[in-house]
Amino acid sequence: MSVAHNSDQVVEDYKSSLLDLTQNNKHEINLLTVIASEYIGKAVELSRVLETHIRNVPPDRKLPAFYVLDSIAKNVGGAYTRCLGQNLYHTFMNAYASVQAPIRKKLDEMVKTWKEPVPGSTDMRPVFPVEITRPIETNLIKFRTLAFQAAQQQQRQQGPPMSHMMSQPYAAAAPPSEWQNTATPPQSNGYYPPPNTQGYPQPNGVPQRSSYPSNNQFPHPQPTPPNFQPPYQPPNPNTYPYQPPPMQDLNALHRDIENLISTTKLEFAARHWDTGLQTKLKALLDLQSIMRNQQLPPNQIQAIRDQVSQLAQTQPPATPTPGMPPSSMLPPNPVPTPTAFAFYAPPSSTSQPPADIQRLLDSNALAEILASAARAKQSTPVQSAAPSIPPPTNPPPVTSLPQPDRTSTPSSNTTSLLANLKALGMLMPDTSTPNGAMPTSQPSSGFPLSHHNYSNTPPMRSSHLARPPLQEIRNDVELNNSSLKIPRPDLVKAKLFDARPNQCSTCAQRFEATEEGKKKKARHLDWHFRTNRRLAESAGAQHNRDWYVDEREWIKSRDNHDEDPDAADGAGSVQAKAAAEAAKNDPKNKFVIAPDDAALRNVPCPICHEKFELSWDDAAQNFVWRDAIDVGSKVYWHASCHAEVKKDRANTPMRTATPDSVLGKRKAGMSDLNAVPLKVPRSPALSSASMVSVAASTV
Amino acid sequence: MSLPGLQLSASDEPVLSAVVHHLTEGSEWRFEVAFGSTVEIKLLSGNAELFGTELAQKQTYSFSGTKAAIYTWHGCTIEVAGECQVEYLAEETPMISYANLHFALERKRDEAVSTGQDGPRVLVLGPEDAGKTSLVKLLTAYATRSGRQPVTVNLDPKEGILSVPGSLSAVTFSSILDVEEGWGSSPVNGPSPIPVMLPLVYYYGQANPDSGDRIYKPIVTRLAVAVLSKLQDDRHVGSSGCLIDTPGAISQGKGGYDIIQHIVSEFSVNVLVVVGSERLYSDMLRRFNGQPIGIGETTTVIKLDRSGGSVDRDEDFLRRSRKAQFLRYFYGDPKMELHPRTTECDFSHVTIYRVPNTTSDFLASLLPGGEAEDDAATQRLIYEKVVPSPQMQNGILAVVQADGNDTPEHIRDASVIGFVQITEVDEKRKKLRILPPIGLQLPRRALIWGSWPSDLGELVR
Repeated sequence: MSVAHNSDQVVEDYKSSLLDLTQNNKHEINLLTVIASEYIGKAVELSRVLETHIRNVPPDRKLPAFYVLDSIAKNVGGAYTRCLGQNLYHTFMNAYASVQAPIRKKLDEMVKTWKEPVPGSTDMRPVFPVEITRPIETNLIKFRTLAFQAAQQQQRQQGPPMSHMMSQPYAAAAPPSEWQNTATPPQSNGYYPPPNTQGYPQPNGVPQRSSYPSNNQFPHPQPTPPNFQPPYQPPNPNTYPYQPPPMQDLNALHRDIENLISTTKLEFAARHWDTGLQTKLKALLDLQSIMRNQQLPPNQIQAIRDQVSQLAQTQPPATPTPGMPPSSMLPPNPVPTPTAFAFYAPPSSTSQPPADIQRLLDSNALAEILASAARAKQSTPVQSAAPSIPPPTNPPPVTSLPQPDRTSTPSSNTTSLLANLKALGMLMPDTSTPNGAMPTSQPSSGFPLSHHNYSNTPPMRSSHLARPPLQEIRNDVELNNSSLKIPRPDLVKAKLFDARPNQCSTCAQRFEATEEGKKKKARHLDWHFRTNRRLAESAGAQHNRDWYVDEREWIKSRDNHDEDPDAADGAGSVQAKAAAEAAKNDPKNKFVIAPDDAALRNVPCPICHEKFELSWDDAAQNFVWRDAIDVGSKVYWHASCHAEVKKDRANTPMRTATPDSVLGKRKAGMSDLNAVPLKVPRSPALSSASMVSVAASTV
Repeated sequence: MSLPGLQLSASDEPVLSAVVHHLTEGSEWRFEVAFGSTVEIKLLSGNAELFGTELAQKQTYSFSGTKAAIYTWHGCTIEVAGECQVEYLAEETPMISYANLHFALERKRDEAVSTGQDGPRVLVLGPEDAGKTSLVKLLTAYATRSGRQPVTVNLDPKEGILSVPGSLSAVTFSSILDVEEGWGSSPVNGPSPIPVMLPLVYYYGQANPDSGDRIYKPIVTRLAVAVLSKLQDDRHVGSSGCLIDTPGAISQGKGGYDIIQHIVSEFSVNVLVVVGSERLYSDMLRRFNGQPIGIGETTTVIKLDRSGGSVDRDEDFLRRSRKAQFLRYFYGDPKMELHPRTTECDFSHVTIYRVPNTTSDFLASLLPGGEAEDDAATQRLIYEKVVPSPQMQNGILAVVQADGNDTPEHIRDASVIGFVQITEVDEKRKKLRILPPIGLQLPRRALIWGSWPSDLGELVR
C-alpha cells in the first residue's frame, strides 16, 4: 500500500464514515469534524461528499449529517464555509422538505445559529454569510406559511384534523367542481364557503363564521413556532371574505389559472421533454400576467374563463375524484362527500407531506411558484395569496396520493414522475413510513448503495444475505489428506469473504456486518486517519527502529489496535497504555537546557558516568539534555538515575550499583517497569511466574 | 494532500506502461521482480490476495525483489506497471487444499474456544524452497482474516520474520499482514502506515541448525516456553494456536529429524504439515502420527502438494534478499523511512561473543557418532569471547538481554533487543564505529557476533 491515503481514499473513507453515522452521536460527529479539519485541503471534495450524503440518506439520518455540516462550519470554517455555503440552500431545502416536523424544528434552530457568530469565537461574522442564510430563512417562512394554510384547508375540508402541519396540502384540490365553480358565484351557496374563500376561517384569531360546519373541529394542530409571524399569513381570500361576486369571480379565475399553471409545471417537471407542455405552460403564464396587469373587459374574462375551464377538464389530474360528477353544474361544494373524504384521508398523514413537498421542491415548481408569488406580491398584493397556496389547490399528479385506487392516468403520471425523480436521484424514500404509493421502489431507489466502498458488499444486503447461508454451510473439513483435497467453494466464500463482508478500502481488512463489526471498522478507520495525521505531522522527523521487547513484555502485550483506540498505534495496548501513563511522570521526559560551557557539557552523570545525550527540542527552541535534571549548582544527573536513587533510598538501603544506561532509561519510558530496577534477568527462568510454570509443564 | 513517504511513490517517476491481466476463478498470476526494479500492481476489480492477504481495490502496491503470486478465488482484474522478470498465469494451484487446511485448523480453534484448551500448534516441514514460508504466511493471513490471533514462529534462521536473517522469532498477528513487505514491521518510534507487530527475537547467527545441543535446540526451547506462555496468558491467542515455519535443512536427514522431534515436543505440536515431499511425509507419519501430545491429544501428520509457484531462489537472490532485510531493519522502507546514525564507542564498552562457525559441525553430525561430544566441551564451545578486530568490519552484532559477564548459556538464551552493524574498527584508538538502530549509544549488553550472514557489506547510507 504505497499510497496509504490518496485523495480518493480520503474521500471514500469519509463517505463510508458518514454512512456509519446513523444517529446523533457526538463522538462520531466530532470525529468527522476533526477529519474534515485535517483534510481541509480536500474541502471541496469532502463538502461535496457531505452534500451528497445528506441528499442520499433516508430522512431519519439527515439530521445527524446536518450536525456534521454544522459542526464543520462552526469549528473548522474557512474553505468549508465557502464550499458548503455554495449549495447550502439546495442541500438544506431538499432535506428540510423530506424530513418530518420534529426534525424540521431542529433544522430551524440550526439555521438560526448560522445567522450568528460562532459562540465563543472572536470572529463576529455569522457562521454562514447572510447572503446564504437569508434565502433559506425566507424560504422557510414561505414553507411554513404554505404548511400552515394547507393544514387549515385540510382541516376545514376533512373535518377531523389531519394533525400535521404538512398534511395533505393538496386536499383542497379535491372537487373537480373547482374548475366549474367559477361559473357560479360562491355566494349562491350560503352554507359552504367556496373554495376560493376557503382561507378565511383562519384559526389564528380571525373570528370564524358560525355557519361554518366544522369550525368546532379545529383543534389548532398548527406546529408553526408560536413566534412565527408569517408575512403572507393573511391570504387574499381571507382578507376579503365577502367580496362582490365579480371580484370573487375574477379571483376564482386567477386561482384557476394558477392551478393550471402549477399543474402544468408539475407535469412539465415530470416530462420536461414535452414541448407541448412547454407551450401550454408559457401560454398560461402569459395569460396570468395579462390577467394581473390589465383590467380586462368582462366578455374577455368570460372567454378566458371558458378556455380555462376547458383546459382544466382536459387536464387529466384535474379529475381525480371519481366520486364527483365531473360535469356537475352544482354549486361548488368543497366539503368532501363521504367518498371524497375517504379518498383523501391518508393512511398515515405524516408520511405524505414530505414526499409531496419534496417533489415540489425537487421539481423546482415550488421555487418558481414562490418566485412568482414574490413577483405577484410586488405588483399586486391582492394576488399574493393565490400563488402561495398552489399545493392545496393543485391536483396531485404525483406520489402524494396514498390510495392506489385512483384513476389510472394520474397514477401513470405518478410512476413517470417518480421514475424521473428517481433517475435524478432526487426522490428519497421515507423509510419510516408505510407509503402505499411506492412501497417497493423505495428501498432500492433511495438508499445510497451506489457507494463505492460498499460496491462489492452492500452492508444491508450482505448482512441478511450472508447470514443464513453462513449457518448452513458447515465447516466439515477433516484433518486428513483426502478431506483436504475436496473443493469447497461455498465454504471459502462463506468463511473467507461473506463472514466479514465489510472491507476497509485502504488495507482490505475485513469486518463483520454486525454492530460490533461496524464499530471495529470505525475504530480501524480512525486508526488510519490518526496514523495519517501523525505521518503528516511528523513529516521530516527522524524516526528509528525501536529496540525489541523482552520476553515478559512480549507475553503481556496485547495486539488489539482495532479494539482499543488508545493503543492503536503502539504494538500492544498494555505497552502503549503503560507508556502513556509513564510518559506523564517519566523521568526521561524531563530535560534541561544544555549548558553552553563546553566543560560542563562533557561532565557525565555522576551516577552512571555516562554523558548526556544532546538533542534539539522544538518546544524549548534550544539544545537540551533529555532525561536530565539539575540537582543544583550546575550538577546534572540523569533524571532516571535520580529517580532510581531516590526510590532505592526509599525502598532498600542497598541500591543497584549500576543503573542501566540507555536501555534502562528507555524502558522506563516504555512501561511501568521502572518500578523494577531495570536489570537483566539473571536466571534463565526470568521474572515471569507464568513462564516458569509453563516451562515446568512443557519441558 | 502530501503524506510523508508518499512523495517517493511512483507518481513522480516516469509512468510505466500498465498491463491489465484478467484472472479467472481459482487461478493465480505468478511474478518475479528483480532487485532494483519496481513493479506496481493495482487491483481493478474482483478480489485478489497475496499469500492470503487481500489486496484493496484501487490501491497501488509496489514490489521489488520479490517472487510471489496473486491468487483469486472468484476472479479479478489487475493492472501491472513495470517489468517483471518472470510472469505468467497459472491455473493449477494447491490453494484448495491449503484453504481446507485452514478450515480444518479453524475447527480445532473453535474447539479450543469452547474447551479452553490451546488451539492447534502447527509445524510446517518440507525441503528448501517447497513453499513452507508461503504456506505459513497464508495460514497466518487466513487466521487473522477469520478473527484469530495466531502466533507465528520462525525457526528458520535464513528467513527472519519481522527481524533479520540469522534470528529466530515469534510474532502474534492480530491484523492484516503487509502485502508489500511480506510480514510487516516491528515497532518504530514514530507512526507507521501499517500496524506494527511485536516480535520476540532470539539470535542464532548461523544459516543452518547445528545438530548438537549447543545453540539451536536451547533457543527453540526458549522460544517455545515464551510462545506457550503467551498462549496461556492471552486466551484469544491461545485458542488461535501457533504456526511454525522451519528450515528446509532439518527435513533432509537424520540429524534434522532429531531437531524436528525436539520442536514437536517443545511446542507440543499436534498438526504436522509436510509440504512437497512424499519421503519426508512417510517418515513423519511413521514417527509422529498418532503420537499422544498432552492429555487426549494426538499428533496428526498431513501432506500438502508443493505449489508450482514455489521456485528455487538462487544464492544471489537470497543474498540480496538478506541485505534488503537488514536495510529494512535499519532504514525502514519507502513508506516509513528510518534514520539511524552511526556512533563511536570504546573497545572497553563492549563485550562481544562469537558464534563459532559450525557448518562443518553440522555435516559432521550427519556422520555416525557425530553427536558423541562430551558435555563439557559442548558447554565451552557455545561462544567464545573476542576482542574487536578488523575482521568484524560490516559484521552484525546482536544485542541481547544479558550482561556481558553472564554465563554463555544465559547469553544464548536471552532474547535480542536489537542489532548493530560494526562499520569501522580502529585498533589504534581502540574505537568501534557502529550503526545502532536507535540512539547514539550502545546499550551495555552482551553482544553476539554471528558467523552468518557474513556477506552483507556496508549498510550505512
